[in-house]
Amino acid sequence: MENREPVITIRDLRMKYSDRYVLNGIDLEVFKGQIIGYIGPNGAGKSTTVKIMLGLVEGYTGEVKILGTDISSGDISYKRRIGYVPEIAEVYDTLTAKEYLTFIGELYGITREAADEKARRLVDCFGLKEAYNSRISSYSKGMRQKVMIISSLLHNPDILFFDEPLSGLDANSVMVLKEILTLLAEQGKTIFYSSHIMDVVEKISSRIVLLGGGQILADGTFSELKDRSKEGSLEQIFNQLTGFNEHRQIAEAFVAAVQEA
Amino acid sequence: MIESRILKGLDLFRGGFEKAGVDYPMMRSILQIKLIMDGRRVPTIVAGGNSRKKRQTSLGLTYVEEGNSFIRSLWLYALMGLMLVPIVLYGDNYIFQMSIVFGIMMFLVMTSLISDFSSVLLDIRDKTILFTKPVNRKTINMAKLIHILIYMFFVTGTLAAPSLIAGLVDHGVLFFLIFLVETILMDVLIVVLTAVLYFFVLKFFDGEKLKDMINYVQIALSIAITIGYQLVSRLFNLVNLTGHFQPKWWHIFLPPLWFGSPFETLLHGTRQSHYLIFTMLVIVVPVLMLFIYIRMMPAFERNLQKLSDQSVRAGRAGGRLTDLIAKWVSGSREEETFFRFAAKMMSTERDFKLKVYPTLGFSIIFPFIFFFLDFHEGGLQGIASSRMYLFIYFCALLVPTVVMMLKYSGQYKGAWIYQIAPISHTAPIYKGTLKAFLARLLIPMFILESIIFLAIFGVRILPDLLDVLLMLPLYTLISFMVLRKALPFSEAFEATQQKEAMLTIPLMLILGVFAGIHYLSTEIPYGVYIYMGLLLVLNVAGWKTVFRRTSSSQLTSGQEVDG
Repeated sequence: MENREPVITIRDLRMKYSDRYVLNGIDLEVFKGQIIGYIGPNGAGKSTTVKIMLGLVEGYTGEVKILGTDISSGDISYKRRIGYVPEIAEVYDTLTAKEYLTFIGELYGITREAADEKARRLVDCFGLKEAYNSRISSYSKGMRQKVMIISSLLHNPDILFFDEPLSGLDANSVMVLKEILTLLAEQGKTIFYSSHIMDVVEKISSRIVLLGGGQILADGTFSELKDRSKEGSLEQIFNQLTGFNEHRQIAEAFVAAVQEA
Repeated sequence: MIESRILKGLDLFRGGFEKAGVDYPMMRSILQIKLIMDGRRVPTIVAGGNSRKKRQTSLGLTYVEEGNSFIRSLWLYALMGLMLVPIVLYGDNYIFQMSIVFGIMMFLVMTSLISDFSSVLLDIRDKTILFTKPVNRKTINMAKLIHILIYMFFVTGTLAAPSLIAGLVDHGVLFFLIFLVETILMDVLIVVLTAVLYFFVLKFFDGEKLKDMINYVQIALSIAITIGYQLVSRLFNLVNLTGHFQPKWWHIFLPPLWFGSPFETLLHGTRQSHYLIFTMLVIVVPVLMLFIYIRMMPAFERNLQKLSDQSVRAGRAGGRLTDLIAKWVSGSREEETFFRFAAKMMSTERDFKLKVYPTLGFSIIFPFIFFFLDFHEGGLQGIASSRMYLFIYFCALLVPTVVMMLKYSGQYKGAWIYQIAPISHTAPIYKGTLKAFLARLLIPMFILESIIFLAIFGVRILPDLLDVLLMLPLYTLISFMVLRKALPFSEAFEATQQKEAMLTIPLMLILGVFAGIHYLSTEIPYGVYIYMGLLLVLNVAGWKTVFRRTSSSQLTSGQEVDG
């Protein structure tokens, strides 16, 4: 795998907000077909990394190359090959799913008709056919999330950035999406997957990158991480590597406070 | 569809945009989507009406209705535009007439831009949705600018069209052309001024502050329009349009005067230095501002990020007074809880403020409008010795409306908390909420009004004011009894019912009855005090019994009509 050209290259990436470093020297190479589980505690810099790669955040130092293009060069054509599901499902919700999805398709350079045709098929698979012509503002959380996922895949991208893509989905849809991710990776797509749900990350990721304090704390397959830290589950590895072992004490203090009159 | 016609018009300029490095088809789709979304917003100016018709499906989803609510709201601007016509036609004193016309237009356009279009200028969803797509920044920024300009075109177009035509007919072609060019320059000035205003507010404060500010501008717009209708007929008496105008150096700070000047210099051949300077400013300032605006655009986008930042700020130390009042007026702990909850909601919920505060402002001003009517007859002296202080009853006109509005909230979905909380009956909920309305909105407003009335009429009216003060809780209670009862803040504003709004009219008549009794009581010796005692007894009895009747009703979701 390593002899191939990397899809994403990050070198010494640093980002400073006011006077605090959110990212403190990230080095990362991502290859075709990988599903990267990008994990870390809140405030570790996961979302910032993703936002930098999408060109949403400026003012970083270091080098970020996606599909061979340095993203600071001003050439934005690389975005045509990226799909993105943000953590908060921000969407123009006065539009119907049809209007929103065809619009997103157009932004990616697909014709309206082709986008509509494709969106219809994808919506159908997710069981949203009835709601296709209804306003997104009337959707449940899970339905919105499905629209977000569809909007990120309309243009058949090569790289996917999924930030908590399972939020709001029911157990059956979660199974479908996990299967979709595996199939997409088999076809050579690269998936950059951030989540707080360790069980899912453990199961679907071919490689896990653990972030803490703006640095990479661990990088490897799940079994490699397990060998290294001698812990059973990814959750435990996560706790160990981020130096968190007070969960018992915090829980006890919490319950004590609940039981007080 | 109106959107496609706008876009067809824009297509004519396609070549120009492409020369400027804009990806035209992309910009066109962005604009199309934005225009569709605009059509589904309800502008502040017509928000009172029930303009939305929704069709529900079995799934409870809402289908899109046809038509554009923005375009439909334009008739109101056209109506206001018609009111400008007499000013234009009044005579040849252009500096007066046109400064007034531009003053009114600038105010209306700027407030409507802030109240209805802020959501466009400040939409942070654009960032995640558009910036992650392969579309260059220039195209996105241009789409934003064109979007605002389309909006301005419609608003100023309908507003200025009647006066433009009147000017063309009455004052000739040159007048028309000056007017037209100046209207465009005015638009540029206003767009840039608004953007600069936002820029600085965002630079020094956080997003919440800006949202509050926009909220207050919306409230001001609603008050101004309501009062404007009352005052416009009297405008000509207030300003002497035929008088000779002598410009002063400090007039340079009054932009409407700049806009009046070119009519003097170009049509009347006035060569006074002040007018010449003002005429120059009309052209130079907007153009200069436009350049600054284009320069500032990237910095503006950066500051915009603040809108989405969740700043964790410690709550203000205030609220102690509310706590004190809550303890003092509440009969039970539950009631105290709902008093504080309602007081908080009334002062922070933006949708509620938008609907209710204009009525509040109007109520403060309303009693004085009648003074103006009688002013020239007896003068201030004549008013002071009369019984016109009874006009203070007009400030209670808002009670039925607000009591009705207490049911509604922009965040009505939060009302599930009533269902799951172990509250045995509704009495403390209603009692606490109504008391909060009295203590936080109505009585403070009444005290303010009373101070002004005391200054005009003297301390002799103090017992009468006490009567009115005692009347307020009773009237609130009566309004509550008559109107449909639903848990406070538990329904969407869109659910406001026409039928219920009609009920406020008989309630206003009841207020007239109170005022009538008060008037009669001043005729008999000690009548005012007898009235006072009567009100006191009725208040105590009323507040004791009314809720007992409602408390037996089940705690239902706000949809049902009870009582």
